[in-house]
Amino acid sequence: MTETLPATAAKRRKATAAAHADPGSRGIERLAYLFVLPALALVVVFRIIPLIWGLGYSFTDYDGMSAPRFVGLDNYIGIAHDPVFLDSLVNMLILLATLPIWIGLPLVLAILIHQGVPGGKIFRAVYFFPAVLSSVIVGAIFNVLLRYDGSFNLFLKALGFSAVDWLGNSSTALFSLIAVQLWSTFGMSLLIFIAGLSTVSSEMLEAAKLDGAKLMQTWWYIVIPSIRPIIEFAAVVTTIGMLTSMFGLIYVLTAGGPGTSTILPEFLIWLEQGKMNRPGYASAISMVLFVMMAGLAAIQIRIMSRNADI
Amino acid sequence: MAEVKTREKRILWIVSIPMALLALSAVYPVFFAINAALKTRKGYVLDRFGLTTNPTFVNFSQAWNQSRLSEYFTNSVVVTVGAVLVLLVVASMAGFALAVLRFRGRRVIFMIILVSLMIPVQVVLVPFYRTMIGLNLIDSRPGLIIAYTAFFLPFSVYLMTAFYARLPRELFEAAQIDGANLLRVWWHIMLPMGKPALVTLGILNTLYCWNDVLISLLVLQDQRTLMVGIAALRGEYTTNVPLLAAGICLAAAPIVLIYVIFQRQIVNGIAVGAVKG
Repeated sequence: MTETLPATAAKRRKATAAAHADPGSRGIERLAYLFVLPALALVVVFRIIPLIWGLGYSFTDYDGMSAPRFVGLDNYIGIAHDPVFLDSLVNMLILLATLPIWIGLPLVLAILIHQGVPGGKIFRAVYFFPAVLSSVIVGAIFNVLLRYDGSFNLFLKALGFSAVDWLGNSSTALFSLIAVQLWSTFGMSLLIFIAGLSTVSSEMLEAAKLDGAKLMQTWWYIVIPSIRPIIEFAAVVTTIGMLTSMFGLIYVLTAGGPGTSTILPEFLIWLEQGKMNRPGYASAISMVLFVMMAGLAAIQIRIMSRNADI
Repeated sequence: MAEVKTREKRILWIVSIPMALLALSAVYPVFFAINAALKTRKGYVLDRFGLTTNPTFVNFSQAWNQSRLSEYFTNSVVVTVGAVLVLLVVASMAGFALAVLRFRGRRVIFMIILVSLMIPVQVVLVPFYRTMIGLNLIDSRPGLIIAYTAFFLPFSVYLMTAFYARLPRELFEAAQIDGANLLRVWWHIMLPMGKPALVTLGILNTLYCWNDVLISLLVLQDQRTLMVGIAALRGEYTTNVPLLAAGICLAAAPIVLIYVIFQRQIVNGIAVGAVKG
């Protein structure tokens, strides 16, 4: 990917030169703003301003009714001592620790499909299928499948294991939640990896094979390094997803329980703003979540703007 | 060399077995839902996993009529179609301006839109909700359309801009773009030229809008979209699995259909941004 950078710069220069040659470019300038205005307005009104506004709320005791009163860092001190919030952080860290599986599993499958495993095209289509389903659909089905008398336990008993109350037990609920989310979304990374692998030169692979390199060696020393930027991108996007795309599944599969065992910060924000009616407090958690993902998002945006070639 | 090839082939055949099992697991839950939906409540209690022998559609009609899924379905269709249309128009206009036209602040505006990607709804939950109340958009379908547009827009603008930026510039120079015919250029050249990207975006945004639950939960109160309805059904009918399964099937059917028809576009759309186009 790095060797394409000079080409990008050249293209950019050419585009700028062409811009100066544009007829009537001064006349269209004002109209150009009208074309971006709807998009810009929507984004600013519903996302940028609320972000700043939310930062303001996080320093108040806002309860949704009476006028917010400035309380300084009280909310932040409060969440630092809130056992539910701390539990949600621990749950999040456990989730984040599983990242290697979220990358490794689709990566291995993508390489196998790329290398021409029999039925590869079908596998690709089928693996991605759960990813198009709503987390509500996935959650509602798995809520039944993972019950004590559900299909999964039936399958385990057939293999000689004993049944487990996957969702009702606080030691297994989080892992069930993570596994279901992984099962339903690994197809996304799989597609990204397959797209990346199609850019790897096959001559290099053939040359390696002629040199007598083993299958695993070609993977490790040639295939994986050559799609490293794409693996990094997938890791960033997956991590952002872990922080901000679990709500639907939590809402339907476990509702955060039992106890606090499957509450993640994003779900806690929703609980605090709605059920607990503490919007000021919820805003403080929002800001913590924002800070946690801002660095990751900055990397994603940098990669995307580089790839957009503008 | 030939030896290496056959050995590799054999390995690939062997690994295809666990891969096939994983593929089975990917479709089993939906199979389970369909199978359960076709059973009577009693039939399900007696035999939860066996193949349905005499299928009944009573669960579907009950879910559709008594559980108000027909109403939720209409809401979801209206909101999804509305939001996707608005998204395509707004994103294509912005993409046209950002990629083709030259004006001061172009890059800054593109970055603002891209940066808003990192502001998910959870991060602005409280002020977003307040904004919706302030603009009188709560509990209305147009309100939800606007909310979906705001949250799914940055990626759409990104994709349209990247797509238009890759078209040859001669195309627009020949069109003699000036202020008078800007709208016509957008309508007659940019929209038709952007069709591949617009189709991809149309499908992806349909999935996002149809599948959303959090934004819908926030914006609608007396009304419900289908996914919120299914979540509620899950809570109310924990014991009546066939009814819940029928609701699940009805809610998933449009998406499954779209996936089967537009698989190629969806697959191509997912990798956008990750790989240089």
